[in-house]
Parts: sequence; structure tokens; C-alpha cells
Amino acid sequence: MSKTKEELLKLLSDSVFEMEEEEGVRELAQEYIDAGYDALEGITAGLVDGMNRAGQMYEEEEYFITDLLLCSDAMYAGLEVLQPHLPKKDLESEKVYKCVIGVVQGDTHDIGKNLVKIMLETAGFEMYDLGRDVPLKDFVDKAKEADADLICLSTLMTTTMPGMKTVVEMLKEEGMYGKVKVMVGGGPISQAYCNKIEASGYAANAVEAVNLAKVVVGMGIPA
Amino acid sequence: MHKEDQMTPNQRLQAFMTGGEMDRILSMPLIVSILHRVVGMTHKEKRSSAENEAAAHIGCYKKYGNDILIIEYGLHGIGRALGNKMTDPEDSVPAIEENVLKDLDDLDKLDFSLTTKDKDPELQRILEVCRICKEKVGDEVPIGVLISGPFTAAASVYPVEKMLKASRKSPEKVHALLRKATDALKGIYVDFIKEGIIIIQCDPISSGSLLHINQYREFVKPYASELNETIVEAGGVNVMHMCGDISKTIHDIVETGGAMLSIDNVVDMEFAKNEVGNQLPLLGNVDPVGVLLHGSKEEVFEAVKETIRKGYDSPKGFILASGCDITQNVLVENIDAFMEASRIYGKYPLDKELLGIEE
Repeated sequence: MSKTKEELLKLLSDSVFEMEEEEGVRELAQEYIDAGYDALEGITAGLVDGMNRAGQMYEEEEYFITDLLLCSDAMYAGLEVLQPHLPKKDLESEKVYKCVIGVVQGDTHDIGKNLVKIMLETAGFEMYDLGRDVPLKDFVDKAKEADADLICLSTLMTTTMPGMKTVVEMLKEEGMYGKVKVMVGGGPISQAYCNKIEASGYAANAVEAVNLAKVVVGMGIPA
Repeated sequence: MHKEDQMTPNQRLQAFMTGGEMDRILSMPLIVSILHRVVGMTHKEKRSSAENEAAAHIGCYKKYGNDILIIEYGLHGIGRALGNKMTDPEDSVPAIEENVLKDLDDLDKLDFSLTTKDKDPELQRILEVCRICKEKVGDEVPIGVLISGPFTAAASVYPVEKMLKASRKSPEKVHALLRKATDALKGIYVDFIKEGIIIIQCDPISSGSLLHINQYREFVKPYASELNETIVEAGGVNVMHMCGDISKTIHDIVETGGAMLSIDNVVDMEFAKNEVGNQLPLLGNVDPVGVLLHGSKEEVFEAVKETIRKGYDSPKGFILASGCDITQNVLVENIDAFMEASRIYGKYPLDKELLGIEE
């Protein structure tokens, strides 16, 4: 007997939350599509729901970094199958918040950046991931090109922290400061440093980063 | 001996270990990445020859009278020797560009004999730095080597994120890598111990900031314990430095058997003292970023005073240190301030009134 939509959505959500093998998630997503159900709902009420549950467990310290990484692998496996079935208009129907993210020049530590990227993507941001050891100007150029709302800068090293300040200054020079918000994070970064370089916000972990990102760009607040 | 001290660091450490009288508290700011700046070299100049690097350590010691020289084998050494692509920057610390192992199934293709001193010229150079320092100032000051623990060594070979995932999906393969990395480390630890060098074992990737306590117990603790056995058998001493938040794993870390524990500034010294202070001496933990990088001389003084106040009565003893390596963009004047404050607030017998300690 074929499963109902609700059953399949629950299974999709669980497959992410319980870190199923990627192959299994793909098959499940295919089953959902083959049954003729809505791809967008499969993402939001299925995969993303599972990732949000994982995020909550992370906040409660039940899940750890390894768990989040495995959940995200499962989520992306499901997204690969569902995304091609999204009708174009769903993507354009409302304001999409865009975020440029990367590890600043001189640093290659990127686990924290990857987690924040995953959680922001889960929250509905359109992500432009520039990777690690990113030349500072690239952040500004990409934000301009993509018309981004937010730039997220990460570093684990004190020697590369000044790069964050440089990005803020570049935005000022380009007249983009204020319109494009800047969030900073990473081991040596603190709220005090964030204030000092006049960034928009600092978050201590990936879940906090999502909450903060929504606030600084005004997501969910009627214009 | 430093002009403002009455004992050499060796005499001071000896007194510390045997309960004898000391002129002041032991002060070990972790001067590693910033060493070249203290003596006016570029990082590349420093690491280009054993002579330069030894001269940098000796110059730094003459200036500060710090209580240990920390020579850097580093955290990436095993991966580097096996063939990682590394950067070679003019004036900062080399970083991993690409790990040598892309797939855990290819582990057996790696030739771990490349990490031995017979085949690794960089290890030979670092051992030479130790020998020169030992010869020139070894009768005055202890010499240590900063070297990775088992999990960080494994992560120098295979990317961290992949290793974390593999710890769940194919744990036996992660164990196989840890087995080889641990065996390689054993040989290298013994090489240093034979030169009379103290092991300063850092395992940041195994920190509670990245690993769950269950992962620590399964993937780190057995190997770290083995390494400590090796160190003890070889007649060496292990000062374990752990980065990040270890509040959950601190007992497990101590159970691996190191001689001393150096903690990061994110762990409260008072907490560490209460949890494990009765088992081994503690080192720590002046904030290297908030205070040493961004603070003024007055803030360094205040932080040194506060750290001594919290740690001085730790049952097995307390050594003043920075919470982590002091990075090269710290103002050298702040290290001056750290040592000056050590001599003021750490002068024995301690002036409890000056430290704000109520009787």
C-alpha cells in the first residue's frame, strides 16, 4: 500500500533528523515525487523540518557537530532529488534573502562556516558560499553582484581577524554599509570585537547565527 | 639568569616539583607563533634553519626569562611529512592547503616511515633546534616541544569534517588512521624525550568544542593513554594543553595520564582547580585574544593578577600561562607586561593583599 503524503513528509523529516544514508534519502524523496506530491512542501515540511529538529537538538546539546554534519548530508541528498521539481514561481513569489559567506583570507578552517551555511540555507536564505581563504574584496564584489542582504565572515585565527574590519571598511567606501549587513563569528571573535569593527552582529554558534541573521535582515518582518 | 630573578627557571621548576621555596611563580606564556617577532625576524627566516630558530628562542629567553622554551614540531607535522600540500608564507605560520589522504580506503598507500627522523628532514631540523637550545641555555631553562596529540595528528592527514562524519559511518577506518598516527607519534615523542625535551601535547581537534564526550572516549582517550604510557616509559614528561571547552571531558583527559594540564581561557581556572586540581598541576590561562591581543598593559596586569588569584592555591600547584598560543599580531609589549606582572603579583611569598585574596 502506498504511503500518504503526511507519512512521507514525516519519513523525509526523520531521515534527515536520524542521519539516514544518502542513498536511502534519495529513494525516499523519489518515492515522494513519484506519488505526485508537492516538491516545495517536501522540502519545507520534510527535509528542512528534519534539519530544524536537528538544530534544536544541537541547541539542547543532545546533538553535536558530527550529528549536524551528517544530518546536512542527508538533507542535501534529498534536496538534489526534490529541487529540480520546484516550479519557478515558488522561487520568485516572495522576497528571497541572499547571503554571501566565507572564511576570510589567510585562514582555511571552515567547519564553523559550513555549519552556519547549512543552517542559514535551512532557514531559507539563498547562499553564496565563497569557501575558505577568501580574498576580502571578493566578499564585497559578490555581495554587489548578487545584491546580497548579508555577508557572513568567519575565522578561527586571530591573525586574520583584521580582515573582517577591512570588509566592513570596504562596504563603507562602496556606500553599501548598512544596506548589506555583516555578521562575524569564529573562535577568537566576540561581541566586543564585533562592536569595535562596527559589524551588524556576532553569534557564538550556528543556531544563534540563524536567529541573528533573521533579525539583522528583517526576515519575516512586514516591510 | 634574568636580571630581575633570583633563580633560574630550572631551579624554579625543581623547587615547584619538590615543594621547595621559589622566588616567584612559574610563568610560561605560550610564546610560539609570535617568537620571530620578539627577536625581529620574519616567520620564514625563523623556520629556514635550525640556527635561526634556536637563536630566536634564546634571544626571547634572554629578554624575558620565561620559564620554558617551546619549540614547535607543530600540529600538522604528521600530515606534512606524509605529503600534505602546505603553504609557505613569508611571515606567518604555514597552513594545510590540501590533506594527503582523500579517502580513508587509501590509508595503506601512505608510507608512515616518512614521519621518522631518518626520513623527515624537517623533524631532523627541529631536533637540531632542541640540541642547540639545550647546549646554549639548557642548564638554565626547561625546553619543551609543542606537538600534536593523536586526534589532531590524524586530522593533519585527513580533513577534519570528513573524519567527524567517518567516526559515525565507518568508525573502524578512523581507528585504523588513529592507530597509524599514534604509532608515528610515539616514535617522534621518544626522539624528543631522548634529547631531554618536555612534551607539550596539544590536541585541539579533540576539544569538547568539536567532539562529544562519547567520541572523545572512543576515538581519543585510548590513544592518548597509550601515548602517555610511552612518554612515561621513555622517562619523559607530558604537559597536556587542551584548546577550547573541555569542561565535560576534563576528567577523561586527566585520566589519560599526563603530568600537567594547561587549559584554555574558555575554561574557568576555578572550575579546573575544583575538578582536577588535586590530581595534577594546572597551567593557564590568561586570555590570548581579549587580553593579550586587544588589551592594554593595565588589562594584562589585571588579568595576570586575577588568574593568579584563582589558581595559586590549586592543590597540586599552579603555573601562570596564557590560555593558548600567543599569535604574531599581539603587541610584543604585552608579553613584556605579562612577564612584568608575573614578577609583581607572582613574587613569593605571595602578597595576598595585593592580589585581593581575603584570609
